[in-house]
Amino acid sequence: MKKWVPIATGLLAGFVAATISFADFSHSTKTAAIDSSTKSDAEKVYVPLGKKDDYYLFASGGHSGQLFVYGVPSMRQIRTVPIFSPDSATGYGYDKETKKMLGGYTWGDFHHPAISETNGDYNGKFLFATDVANSRAAVMDLKTFTTKDIIKVPNTSGPHCAAFVTQNTEYLFLPTRFSVPVGQKYEPLDNYSKKYRGVMSALTFDQKKEKLNIAYQVALPPWSYDLSDAGKKESGDWAVMSTYNTEEATTTMEINASQADRDYIVLFNWKELAKMVKEGKYEDVGGQKMIYPEKQKGGIYLVPVAKSPHGVDVTPDGKQFIASGKLAPSMTVFSFKKAFEAIKNKEFAGERNGIPVLQYKKVMEREVNPENALGPLHTQFDDKGMAYTTMFISSEIVKWNPKTGDVLDRVPVQYSPGHSVAAEGDTASPDGKYLIALNKLSKDTYLSVGPSHPESMQLIDISGKKMRVIDTVPANPEPHYAQMIKADKIHTINVYPKDPTNKDAVYKQSDTKIVRKGNEVHVYGIAMRSRFIFDSKAKRPDEINVNQGDHVFIHLTNIDFDEDITHGFAINQYDLDMEVQPGQTNTLEFTADKAGTFPLYCTNFCSALHQEMNGYFLVKPKQ
Amino acid sequence: MVNLNGKKLSVVSSLILACSAVFIGLSLFFPWWRLLLYAPQYPEGLNIIVYPNKLEGQIDIINGLNHYIGMANFDEKSFPELSYMSYLVGGLAVLTLLVGLLRRKSFLYMLIGLFLVGGLIGFFDLYHALHTFGTHLSLKAPIKIKPFVPPMVGENHFANFTTHSYLGKGAYFVVLAFILTLIPIWKDRK
Ligand SMILES: [Cu+2]
Repeated sequence: MKKWVPIATGLLAGFVAATISFADFSHSTKTAAIDSSTKSDAEKVYVPLGKKDDYYLFASGGHSGQLFVYGVPSMRQIRTVPIFSPDSATGYGYDKETKKMLGGYTWGDFHHPAISETNGDYNGKFLFATDVANSRAAVMDLKTFTTKDIIKVPNTSGPHCAAFVTQNTEYLFLPTRFSVPVGQKYEPLDNYSKKYRGVMSALTFDQKKEKLNIAYQVALPPWSYDLSDAGKKESGDWAVMSTYNTEEATTTMEINASQADRDYIVLFNWKELAKMVKEGKYEDVGGQKMIYPEKQKGGIYLVPVAKSPHGVDVTPDGKQFIASGKLAPSMTVFSFKKAFEAIKNKEFAGERNGIPVLQYKKVMEREVNPENALGPLHTQFDDKGMAYTTMFISSEIVKWNPKTGDVLDRVPVQYSPGHSVAAEGDTASPDGKYLIALNKLSKDTYLSVGPSHPESMQLIDISGKKMRVIDTVPANPEPHYAQMIKADKIHTINVYPKDPTNKDAVYKQSDTKIVRKGNEVHVYGIAMRSRFIFDSKAKRPDEINVNQGDHVFIHLTNIDFDEDITHGFAINQYDLDMEVQPGQTNTLEFTADKAGTFPLYCTNFCSALHQEMNGYFLVKPKQ
Repeated sequence: MVNLNGKKLSVVSSLILACSAVFIGLSLFFPWWRLLLYAPQYPEGLNIIVYPNKLEGQIDIINGLNHYIGMANFDEKSFPELSYMSYLVGGLAVLTLLVGLLRRKSFLYMLIGLFLVGGLIGFFDLYHALHTFGTHLSLKAPIKIKPFVPPMVGENHFANFTTHSYLGKGAYFVVLAFILTLIPIWKDRK
């Protein structure tokens, strides 16, 4: 009868105990409500000491050739990562490995970063970059925030329409802005239509070896390819890219490439292309597998679109793609489903350059034309599938519903936004919360630094119905596009682990040595707080002696396996500089062509006795 | 039987001694002593964790910092004890078990004596190490500080460091084992 009393008491006691030990009495639910309603703009972006930002922002550095890393919402710049340009601050392009990777180029033009994906979502492992200036692609490891590989892509020149990855990072595509003759041979511009091609490259990435590789190329017509996006979910095997200059103009492009009423969205199925390559349906062009769409048919289609579009963006559900007019004041929403049907039924409106053209009306779902919104460039999405399009000419962001075409909100930005980036805003599951307008002009916004003004990034709160600009920060030239990823997806290392297979590494002071082989001198040294040891048995362990003309290798290991203790290494007058991060081994290779006495020192402030961290590099003159 | 009661331990006492042996054995797998150092740049703390047979923690980092004040490197080589400590402790566990099996009170007294002597030597050894490292600072050290001896248990300050010393689980197991060896004396008292 009264058995339930002890049972109930027991349960109650258990419950109380559980509440006491597990319940979170912090006011987390309350603060979430406060966030969007009562917090001031300053409070929304303030991240106090001890707290960290919610998102990483990876902004391309344009013709700086670098990547800019910011925290969001604080908008604090955390790091500049050199990718296509040398950087003396990190020794990038000076040490043996990175010098070789840069291949003699002194700059690059990085436009569109692409984070590696799993199932259409960022996985936080790698970031890909492309160089419009010198036709290269690069990959950065997000464990170390360092560039791991750079590949030069032949037959193509200016992969602006890149990079985008397929939904499981099967391929990284590099369509190009400029057309050139295959092999980039000399060819008069009069032969443009016949001999020039806008070659798109499909790259694969070996995650283990951290190496990029060209899988195949497609000799697309000699048009300019501007922006692109990979399909998602039901459109996951497909990708879209925008074109302009289908006029095939060769001069004064501003006028001549803006004549045709319609350009195209190129719609292609990358699985079909891969299959064609597998079946040998390609031509060998200087060692590259080249698909010529007019000969090896299939997998590529053209969708007519209002002239000279800029962005083309796939909705998070993978059902639609949106082309932004740039010169036409509208966004056009296309349906993948309709396109697939038209392709299946072969409802083509003829061909262009040997590629089937789909009927505009058959694929188009709606045209959205917000009043006086001019120069739509690029679209991002929030967690509810709403679209945010930058208006370059009318300097605003327009929020609208791609399913209905309803315009929901507009907010002015200062000024002339190119791209914008929302939190995971081009993935299969955007986060909402934040959008950043990447503005090209800042004019009156900041303290003047002379005639050239910085670029400007504006953080916009998109969590409510109304968008609200909550912060404005300057940026170096020049973020074209950025991606914003949840901070907890990035897993960095703090210290390089010991690598027993690295023959250049020395982890014990007593193992340091200087070895001479003919006119080659190999220094196996260490850096530690606060000294260099090149040969622990020498009278002066921090002295390097060579003969003029010697080929010198300085292998240096930072044996401070301690977070944030980075050392640098520089030789005065020798234009040499490198960095060794905690636990890292790095090599400088050079010829000691100048005789004399050259101090060497640690460039990266490491300790109280950093100033004492130096030695001498002595070069004995030739007799 | 009755006659022997005065000199022989009861079965319960024997079990208690077996327990004691187990705790001694167990202590080999846990740290005996730990020094935790904090500095402004190391809010997360740096550890020296001493097991009977090894050192753990951020020893390399601590050595790297210690050379500034001229402190000798400590590593497993500078503590020969680490190479044989575990045999001594293991031996003690076996002895304790044997005493439990033989159930002779006189053996128990000897065991307790051994415990006390061993414990004293252990404490002295640790003190000696702390004293040696803290007071034999190189005269050529870039940063000169007053010689110091960190306490075996408690807080200390030197340079930019605050140190906390603790006994580890292993040490507590040994203390517990020692207490367990005392219980039979009280339990089987006349
Ligand atoms: Cu240094």
